[in-house]
Amino acid sequence: MEKKVKVVLGVIGADCHAVGNKILDYALTAAGFEVINLGVLVPQQDFVNAAIETDAQAILVASLYGHGEIDCRGLRDRCREAGIDDILLYVGGNLVVGKTDFSGVANKFQDMGFDRVYAPGTLPGKVIADLQEDLTARSKESLM
Amino acid sequence: MELKNRQWTHDQFNAVRQEVLNHWPTGKEVDFAAAVKYHEAIPAKRQFAKRLVKAKKNGETLTQPRAGVALIDEHIKLLNYLLTEGEADLLPTTIDSYTRQNQYKEAQNGIEESLKAGRSLLNGFPAVNHGVAGVRRVVESVNAPLQVRHGTPDARLLAEITLAAGYTSYEGGGISYNIPYAKEVSLEKTILDWQYCDRLVGLYAEHGIEINREPFGPLTGTLVPPSISHSVAVIEGLLAVEQGVKNLTLGYGQCGNLLQDVAAIQALEQLAEEYFSKHSCADCILTTVFHQWMGGFPQDESKAFGVISWGAATAGLAKATKVIVKTPHEALGIPTKEANAQGLKATKQLISMLSDQALPATKELEDEINIIKAEARCILNKVVELGQGDYALGAVRAFAAGVLDVPFAPSKYSLNKILPARDNNGAVRLFDVGNLPFTPDLIAFHHDKINERAKAEGRDPSFQMVIDDIYAISKGRLVGRPR
Repeated sequence: MEKKVKVVLGVIGADCHAVGNKILDYALTAAGFEVINLGVLVPQQDFVNAAIETDAQAILVASLYGHGEIDCRGLRDRCREAGIDDILLYVGGNLVVGKTDFSGVANKFQDMGFDRVYAPGTLPGKVIADLQEDLTARSKESLM
Repeated sequence: MELKNRQWTHDQFNAVRQEVLNHWPTGKEVDFAAAVKYHEAIPAKRQFAKRLVKAKKNGETLTQPRAGVALIDEHIKLLNYLLTEGEADLLPTTIDSYTRQNQYKEAQNGIEESLKAGRSLLNGFPAVNHGVAGVRRVVESVNAPLQVRHGTPDARLLAEITLAAGYTSYEGGGISYNIPYAKEVSLEKTILDWQYCDRLVGLYAEHGIEINREPFGPLTGTLVPPSISHSVAVIEGLLAVEQGVKNLTLGYGQCGNLLQDVAAIQALEQLAEEYFSKHSCADCILTTVFHQWMGGFPQDESKAFGVISWGAATAGLAKATKVIVKTPHEALGIPTKEANAQGLKATKQLISMLSDQALPATKELEDEINIIKAEARCILNKVVELGQGDYALGAVRAFAAGVLDVPFAPSKYSLNKILPARDNNGAVRLFDVGNLPFTPDLIAFHHDKINERAKAEGRDPSFQMVIDDIYAISKGRLVGRPR
């Protein structure tokens, strides 16, 4: 039997928006991933610890309440310090306070070390397709 | 302290108060005697409780936005804009999420980063950090009744500071600010912490200061059947009254089906009166609040106005005492002040146009009211039975048993066994009633309603139906039909 790819899922910081988290958990599980769902109110270090403990391939961070910019800063550095620098980091939700041009937001979070940045209203299917694409690209790289 | 639905003694309260006021340096600024004097000088038109009572008497529906930013001067500007340009009747101060989790250091960092960035990096107003003097600047610069709106499981210090600063209304409750807002805080703790807040309001009442209290009606804001949120509202109301609260607003979040929503507001008032008179809480004045759609919004602003206006129309036809207003930026995060004012004005237009109309009392409306009341009575009577006559203990045990259960709650203390979905007319029903203590008739009613829809759509009820319903409004429909 093929081993399932593990992904860590959670809502970062002091944010307690739970609905999208439950839907993503359901959709990712249905798509064949093993989801380590940390739920809401997750500190940065918990994402990193869970990824190390479970040997996960990706960390999926959500932020819906507007503090994303403060909460997400430094997550890539923490991964690096913990020896999992190559892990996929995705982030999505309402990432900043106020209505802002999304391309600016995407650039800001890419500079912070996120591989994918999602605008509000992104459906689970898009995230799953991207994950599969990124994981396939990685496995090809490692074969070369 | 042992949890019981009994009024705290002054000694009990004062012992805890010493500790609470030491949670952050600004706690030292709280001087209760001076605060009472300060409240005595607040004119009637800025008193929340008085404004609500007047609205209820005149059959008005008042408008209120959500709003809060990191810095005091910007916050004052924001509120005054919503008052003059948005024509809001009541004003809020929405508290930032760090403060809600008692992370005052992070809130301080947010204030400093906001100063540096020249824009608010916090999603609300960090009232604890600003302290009594800072918060009072807001109170003295805004000529309208002011309420604290948040989502704070332990809101004791926040209550001390904002009420001492002159706020006249305080939102929240031991269940409604735990189950949707926390992950692993026990209900015993939040109910005790909210007994403290209610007792504080009761203490002001003993000194002749009337402060309005409002349990948070919509809970998770996602397909919550009215009987569940009503049960929580009645319990939190009874707990508040026990601690001496005299002016209470009970709330409900729009589900989207007009008949069910109007029935819900009427059933809420009737249930509260029924249970309050049973428990001799007759001297508490009750009003209602209707929350415009709390779920996902369309990104397109014109479409968002459609959702806002439907909520406004429903609030007006249901004759709720006030309506909490959404904005056309809802799908994208925190709104600009302009967008916030637009939501308010669209709402006021609808409310004013409908002020002379009410939904006629038809048999269908009566049936819906009776269903909601029957369900809520099943839950409430089981809660009091589990608590051996005590609603506080009963609430804790009811959540553990799934007798009370809130869909999509982040708290591990909610069993999460029930699954709601819309029926063929868009009313919110349950296709899995979990452990709710409904009669066989009520269970059959839900079963039939869901099956009727499933048949019309040619599919079996499943979690996919729930997901479709959650996304439906942002995609332009109420019922999430398969494509």
